[in-house]
Amino acid sequence: MSTSDTVPTEKVSQQGLSEQSRVRLRNIAIPVGAALALLLIWQFGVRIFEIPIYIAPAPTDIVSVFKTDFPLLMLNFWPTFMESLAGFFIGNLTAVLIAVAFVHSRLVERAFFPIAVFINTIPILAIAPILVLIFGPGMTAKVVIAALICFFPTLVNMVRGLQSVSPQVLELARILSASKSEVFWKIRLPSSLPFLFSALKIAATTCVIGAIVGEWIGANVGLGALIIESTFNFRAPLLYATVFMSSGLSVLLFAGVSIAEKVTIRW
Amino acid sequence: MDGSQTQAKESRAIAASLSAASVRFGDFTALSDITLDIEAGDFYTILGPSGCGKSTMLRLVSDLVPPASGTVEIFGKSTEAARLAREFAFVFQDATLLPWRSALENVELPLEIGRKRGIKTPKGDRTPSELLELVGLKRRENALPHELSGGMRQRVAIARALVCQPKLLLMDEPFGALDEMTRDRLNLQLLDIWKETGTTILFVTHSIPEAVFLGQKVLMLKANPGRVKEVVQVNLPFPREIALRETPKFNKYCSYLRKLLEEC
Repeated sequence: MSTSDTVPTEKVSQQGLSEQSRVRLRNIAIPVGAALALLLIWQFGVRIFEIPIYIAPAPTDIVSVFKTDFPLLMLNFWPTFMESLAGFFIGNLTAVLIAVAFVHSRLVERAFFPIAVFINTIPILAIAPILVLIFGPGMTAKVVIAALICFFPTLVNMVRGLQSVSPQVLELARILSASKSEVFWKIRLPSSLPFLFSALKIAATTCVIGAIVGEWIGANVGLGALIIESTFNFRAPLLYATVFMSSGLSVLLFAGVSIAEKVTIRW
Repeated sequence: MDGSQTQAKESRAIAASLSAASVRFGDFTALSDITLDIEAGDFYTILGPSGCGKSTMLRLVSDLVPPASGTVEIFGKSTEAARLAREFAFVFQDATLLPWRSALENVELPLEIGRKRGIKTPKGDRTPSELLELVGLKRRENALPHELSGGMRQRVAIARALVCQPKLLLMDEPFGALDEMTRDRLNLQLLDIWKETGTTILFVTHSIPEAVFLGQKVLMLKANPGRVKEVVQVNLPFPREIALRETPKFNKYCSYLRKLLEEC
């Protein structure tokens, strides 16, 4: 628990790096080193125990698939990306609008909140086939599933966000004779933004899950379809590469939301 | 509104007039039978045991709670008319600043609200920026509330309250959450502002020295139900300095009020 090594100093070490940037470098080096070590164990473990490639490929096998099958991966990346993004926007927008209606009217909330809870209790894997039956094998079903999975966390967070205004601020609004719409636009909506963004961060990763689950049920393209296809064809390196693509997509969307949050919320 | 605009020059105008006003919350009587005239330009401090309805009284005057019986008038108007005309402003114990708005934008808030609906947003003599200068925050205009100290935030809240040039300023323990040094400084600043703007102030506090130091008159309330115990005239000269608190006269007022408070 020594504090000396975390205190930034102006001292310059022999390598020409200040103490501060050395600390920063070490903070990056430790997790990266750990990840590299795990990859090495994986690589040598697979080789030493002579595990067949169709059961567990080594990291180098996956890298070479990324090289040889990159066009195939990208071909399947874009549909999933579009479905996730469309589902993200539709699901969250619907949730925000319904949250506004809930906060506006207790009657609407009492009528529809139980239904929203009920829909949320249906496992997404159970409802996905129904939606594919209704909307067919095209993109629509996947977008709906992705939207559905985003919907509930955002609804709950947004309702809480819109109600997070302190009673004293509402008294201030009353003394200023603010109208309901002024209270909404100038006070409630900005107050809800931190809540909205924490919901959007959840949605950024779950919408990808929704799209992929939709593709499992019935699709010719998309990362989900590629996962099923490569599994049944014992193309494990391609399967692993697809999985990495999927998590890369989640990371991409998550990073997008995080940047939007940084720009929007300065307080 | 029959010519109520022209009473600005009247020296003995009544800022707030309560007659037999009561406030009830369900079965609980928070305030009972309050009759009181507050003259324009006066500085009233309100003291009383906790639960005596000090805050409720400010909320009654500011149209936040309706009287169960009796009447309340602000400069001869109903409290609602006075609210719509921005005759009064309120300063809460918390600064209640909007955290996403800079200090300046927070001060501007009252000017933005109600403009389209024809609610008067009286143009004060001072711009929001000049008001921040008045409370000594000229250089922090663009700071967000979380970048300011508690005392600074409260000063922004006071600037915001002054932006519509209220003729009546209602303050509900505005310095209650601040440390003593900051409190002393803001007390002096508030007296300056009061002198400069000529506004009427109703100031709720639970500190006896603060009540004596600021007030021309100390309104002592008693609890269960909240009623007026006594109005104590504080005959200490203005301008007041911190050193005033060391004087025997000041302490005599304090001990008198303390005794009064014990009887409540």
